[in-house]
Amino acid sequence: MSISKDNGIETYLSFKLSEEVFAINVSKVINILELSKITRIPKSPEYMKGVINLRGTVLPVVDMRIKFNLPEKENTVDTSIIVLSIDLNGEAVLIGILVDAVREVLELRNQDIFPSPTIGTKYNTSFIEGMWRIDDKFIMILDIDKIFNTEEVIDIKEQLAQTAGETN
Amino acid sequence: MDNFKRKFVEEALDLINELETVLLRIASNPEDKELIEHIFRIMHTLKGNSAMFGFSMIDQYTHQLETIYDLIRNGKMKVTDDLMDLTLASVDHIRNLLDEDNSGKEEVQSVHKDLLGRISNIIEGKTSQPAEKKEAAVEDNGIKTYYVHFQPNTDILSNGTNPLFLVEDFKPLGNYIAVPSLEQLPPLQDMDPEKCYTSWEIILSTKESQDKIQEIFIFVEDSCNLEIIKVCDNDILSQPEIVSKIEEITINYKGIGLQKLKEIASADEKQEVRNAQLTPRSVEPTTTLKNISNIRVSSEKLDELINLVSELVTTQAGLSLIAENINDKELLVIAEDVEKLSRRLRDSTFSIRLIPIENMITRFQRLVRELSHELKKEIIFRTEGTDIELDKNMIEGLIDPIMHIIRNSIDHGIEKPEERKKKGKPSTGVITFKAYYSGSNVYIQVNDDGSGIDVNKIKHHAVSKGLISSDSSLSSKEILDLIFLPGFSTAENVTNISGRGVGMDVVKRKISDLRGEINIDTSINEGTTITVKLPLTLSIIDGLLVEIDDAYFVIPLASVNKCFEFKHETLVNAVNNLIFVNDGHIPFIYLRNEFGIASQCPDLEQVVIIEYGDVRIGLTVDRVVGEYQAVLKSLGTMYKKQDIISGATILGDGTVALVVDPNKIINQFNYQNQINIS
Repeated sequence: MSISKDNGIETYLSFKLSEEVFAINVSKVINILELSKITRIPKSPEYMKGVINLRGTVLPVVDMRIKFNLPEKENTVDTSIIVLSIDLNGEAVLIGILVDAVREVLELRNQDIFPSPTIGTKYNTSFIEGMWRIDDKFIMILDIDKIFNTEEVIDIKEQLAQTAGETN
Repeated sequence: MDNFKRKFVEEALDLINELETVLLRIASNPEDKELIEHIFRIMHTLKGNSAMFGFSMIDQYTHQLETIYDLIRNGKMKVTDDLMDLTLASVDHIRNLLDEDNSGKEEVQSVHKDLLGRISNIIEGKTSQPAEKKEAAVEDNGIKTYYVHFQPNTDILSNGTNPLFLVEDFKPLGNYIAVPSLEQLPPLQDMDPEKCYTSWEIILSTKESQDKIQEIFIFVEDSCNLEIIKVCDNDILSQPEIVSKIEEITINYKGIGLQKLKEIASADEKQEVRNAQLTPRSVEPTTTLKNISNIRVSSEKLDELINLVSELVTTQAGLSLIAENINDKELLVIAEDVEKLSRRLRDSTFSIRLIPIENMITRFQRLVRELSHELKKEIIFRTEGTDIELDKNMIEGLIDPIMHIIRNSIDHGIEKPEERKKKGKPSTGVITFKAYYSGSNVYIQVNDDGSGIDVNKIKHHAVSKGLISSDSSLSSKEILDLIFLPGFSTAENVTNISGRGVGMDVVKRKISDLRGEINIDTSINEGTTITVKLPLTLSIIDGLLVEIDDAYFVIPLASVNKCFEFKHETLVNAVNNLIFVNDGHIPFIYLRNEFGIASQCPDLEQVVIIEYGDVRIGLTVDRVVGEYQAVLKSLGTMYKKQDIISGATILGDGTVALVVDPNKIINQFNYQNQINIS
């Protein structure tokens, strides 16, 4: 995995949730797993899907559809768990995120990414780092650390509308 | 070399800790000769080691300190409070010196000078008067002659000992003649250059005692044959004719021999050799068992071992599962054996990591000693059950919170002597540290006989801090629990000892990080008891594996009382959520509902009775699978808020089972009941 910041190219992994496409910097991605049996933990937030056995350790799994307040979909063969290393209050933590499908690895030049407008939004924190336009669609690059440092469900649609509005 | 140095530092720190422990013991028994000997030995070792590794400041420092204890040992000085303070300060100072980055610093240097000055004051002050009296008691010049036969084992060179240096060590003691004996020397072609074939006969005339001679060989006692015998009570080496006689013998014979020497001494002097006093102190190479009864192992290695054992236990569960499915008799036997073995391996591996609580007591003793001096309070610190062993990590995690608790007891609990007298209590307060086992837990209690905690004061304080509203009605226990809230500090005037903002909330958090619980019990003017309850081990528990729907749960076996089978309708129709078992009515929790599992219940359900303190409660589950050794895995930060599930474990087939915390379930249940009643 060569991520060279010098020539302004960064590598991202894109995935699908509902009808939307998101991307995460590959430096955060540990590996991608097929969906396996998830043990639900009672009395936890709904988006906390449960835990799986990752080679002898216990990995918490978050259902991104619920976390982003997107319509629920049946699990398919494409449903996968992306294992991420995130920064949770300064501590490196492994978590799995449940996504509808993993798409591809993208190499994007920095100048092609629209930075997320941080001034003028009504929220202080934007969970979107930037976006990349392909034809008429946007790919949202997520700030995954920020997303997991809040325990609330994020209305990603609203975020999208806002970010898109600002950029246009 | 760095490796050696690290080893030295490690060992030196151990020695210092030991020294500290002994010092605190001697504070209460200043006359104990054995303890003084012990201190002296530690200092001597420390001195020798530090000289060897180039810690010259420590070498120089301990040398001075050793001098004082040598005086005490010889009865020329007494252990005083001042001296104790100085030595304890020295202990801290040596600790600082061990950190090489530190020892160069100016403040350390100035402390060094200051302490050295205090030491030499003590030495000079004391050696003059009482020492002279002693000296006067000895009639003659006090010089005695000893015969020393020193025969090192042939492999002595391999430990880096140079026997010649030992012989040279006689120089400061007095006049001596050392005669090497080469009798054992093999012919050149058979000689191994790394072996020592030489032995020495040394004739020494000295004022010093036999112990002093013995001391030269302190590090090689086990690797040599040593004989130290007093020949006569005068200085034969000052007489030239005897010296020449001895020299004559060494040329003619191969060695002097004790017998010959005695003959010379008695024949020439016509003096009685007091045979009665001839106590040959031959130091046999005593059983080496003493040396290998302890092995130093780095804690990383232990952690690695424990991880491996944990993995083995998980793998073994897989084996047992497969054996059961295949149902082959021979395989079953092997699987069972492996299970037994891994259980034993687990137990003994975990016991390796256990160290006695004793190890952390020294710090508390010092804290009590120093803080009570500072606050002008009279306090005795008592300990009980310090031989109880706990996981090393747990002891490390406990030191800070317990320090804080004791600090609170000294600062806020125990009153000043005058105040205590007014209350009709003895002027000396007592703080008791007590540890004991109960069930699968270890309890640690810190008790003081001080003023106790005024519940009304706390309530008042909590209201003023806005933690509770003034009209809230709380039981006194609930009010006491307010102490554990962040931002609560009861000290009316914040001293620099406690009340520094790190409050009981931190204590509580640290204790719960160790999966422990903390409790306060207090009564005004009688004192306060703080009880910390801790689990025995942190990573593997014996549990009962149960199943609800298709989810597996592990209930710690220690809290399981009995299991019963009930028809589903019996449970549904139970009055007041009570079921009747052998010895009475027991409330039960429908775990299926509690955990939000919506599927159909089976017709027959199992009720597992769990027990916590004197509370018993039933948990309904679909199926009891059996006993299971669960390797506890944390659920991680994402599930930090999870309460009734204390962790997870991985079953033989790779599925994840959740470990429930019965205490939390019961607490929660009690809490809900209280709400329902009120």
